[in-house]
Amino acid sequence: MKKLWHRANAALLASLDEDLRGPYPDLGVVAENECVYLRGSFPIICDGVVLDRYQIEVRIPRNFPHALPTLREIGGRIPWNIDRHVNTNGEACPLVPEEWLLEPRRESILCFLNGPVRDFFVAQSLVEVGQPWPFPWRPHGTDGLYQAYGELLGTHDRAVIRKYLECLSKDAVKGHWECPCGSGNKLRHCHLNDVQVVRAKIPPSVARQALQRLVRQAGQT
Amino acid sequence: MDIDKYLAAVLDSQNLPEDSVELEQLRIHRADVEALLKREFPKAHIRYGGSKAKGPLIRDAYDLDIICYFDHDDTTAGKTLKDIYGSVQAALAKHYEVQTKTSALRLRSKDAATLGQDFHIDVVPGRYVDESNGDCFIYQNSAEKERLKTNLDLHIQHVRDSGVSDAIRLLKLWKVRRSLGIKQFVFDLLVIKLLDQRKSANLSAELKHVWQELCDAAEPLSVEDPANPGGNDLSKVLDGATWSEHSSAARRTLNSIEQFGWEQVYGPIVKVSAEERTEKLRAAAAAVVTPTKAWCGNA
Repeated sequence: MKKLWHRANAALLASLDEDLRGPYPDLGVVAENECVYLRGSFPIICDGVVLDRYQIEVRIPRNFPHALPTLREIGGRIPWNIDRHVNTNGEACPLVPEEWLLEPRRESILCFLNGPVRDFFVAQSLVEVGQPWPFPWRPHGTDGLYQAYGELLGTHDRAVIRKYLECLSKDAVKGHWECPCGSGNKLRHCHLNDVQVVRAKIPPSVARQALQRLVRQAGQT
Repeated sequence: MDIDKYLAAVLDSQNLPEDSVELEQLRIHRADVEALLKREFPKAHIRYGGSKAKGPLIRDAYDLDIICYFDHDDTTAGKTLKDIYGSVQAALAKHYEVQTKTSALRLRSKDAATLGQDFHIDVVPGRYVDESNGDCFIYQNSAEKERLKTNLDLHIQHVRDSGVSDAIRLLKLWKVRRSLGIKQFVFDLLVIKLLDQRKSANLSAELKHVWQELCDAAEPLSVEDPANPGGNDLSKVLDGATWSEHSSAARRTLNSIEQFGWEQVYGPIVKVSAEERTEKLRAAAAAVVTPTKAWCGNA
C-alpha cells in the first residue's frame, strides 16, 4: 500500500504547521487514525478586523492531494441542513469535491482555507444575520454534480457526461472506442482531440471519483 | 497598545451581557431542560454549574452545566451511577440529540431545521454521598474508575476564590480556540496551581508563566481535586498525550509572541457595530473574484 502522505514526507507535515502559524495561529495540526486533522478557531478577518470566528476541523485524507479535505464546523453553530450546505452528518459542502481536485492549487491546504473554507464561512455569517447567500451555489444532490461536471466537460446531457467520465476513468484512451458523445462513431473519427484536451484537465483518478460520486448519489436519491 | 491593556480589551470582548442573545437563548433552553428533568425525575435536585456559575465565562465558550443529582438513597432513576446516567440520557434523548461525554451529557438540537446546533448545555447526573447533600458521586463512562467523588460548591468556591480569574478566562480562551482536549475543571485546577505563588504578577506575566510551565515539564504535573484531595485520580485526565498536546501548543504560543507579538495569540481587537460588521462581511464577499459554489450531497 502506498505510504500515507504525511508519513512519506514528514517534512510536509512540519511545513504545513509552519505555513499555518502566520495566517491561522489557532489551527493546530494533529496526526490521528491515519489522517491529519487541523482543528481550532478559523477567523474571518477583513481590514484588520476579526468579523467572526468558527471552530473548525479539516480532515486531510490519507490520499491527499488526490482526495478533497473534508470540513466540519465543530462549534455546533451552523445547523446541519441543505440550505446551509451542510450534510446531515455535519460535513460541510463548500464545493463539489472534483472541482477542487482540478485546481492547480489543490496541493495547498492554505489555498483551501483561503478559498473554499473562507467563502463558506463568510456566507454563513451573512446568512446568520438575515442576508442571502452571497455567492452562486450548485443545486443540491445529483443535479449539482451534473451541473459541475457538465461545466467541466462542456455539455449538459447527463448520459454524455456519464459516458465521458467512463471514458476518462480509463488509464489510457483507445481510438477504436465508441465516442462518448453518442454519435456511434469511433473516437478517432470523432471527439478524440477533445477527449485528449479534457484528459489534460481531468486525470483518470478524478474522473473515477466523479463517476463513483454520481453512482453513489443516484443511489441515495 | 500596552500588553496588559490589550489583554484587558480581549477580556472585555469576551464578556457576555445578561441581555445578550446568547444568554437569552441559554436561559430558554435551560428552562426547557429543567422542566423536562423535573417532569421525568420529580425528586432530583437541579442546580447550575459550569463556567456561568464559577465565573470564567467567555463569549467563545459559554457553557452551562445543569446538575441533576439524586438523594443518596433515591433509586428512582436507577440503583447504580451507571443506571442513573443511562436513565437521564434516555429521558433527554426524547427531545435532544445527546452526546455522551465522560460524565456529562451534551445537548444538541434534533429538529430538522436546526439539526446539530449546540445548546451549550451539559447535563451532569449524579448521586449525593450522604444526607448532607454536599459531596456527590458522578459516573465516568470512559475511565478506569467508574465513580468520581465531587463537590460542586467546593469547585465553584475554589475557582472564585483563586484570585486569578482573569488568567483563567484568557487561558480558557486560548484552550478553546485551539480545540485542546483537556477537561475545563482540570485545566482550571492546573492554572490555579501554577499561579499559586504569582498572583501579584501582571496578567501577561501570569499567562507566560503558565505556558512556560507547560513547555518545561516533561511529565504531566499532578493536580489535586479540592473536592476529594488525594482521592480522585486526575492523572488519566491529564495523561501524557494530553500533556504533550498542550505543551506543544504552549510552545507555539510563546514562539508566536516572540515572532509576531501578542495579537497573534488573541487576534486584533477592534470594535465594530453590528451594521458595520454586516457591511464588512458583504464587502468581503464582494471582493471574492472567483467564489466557490457551495453544494450539498444530502438532497
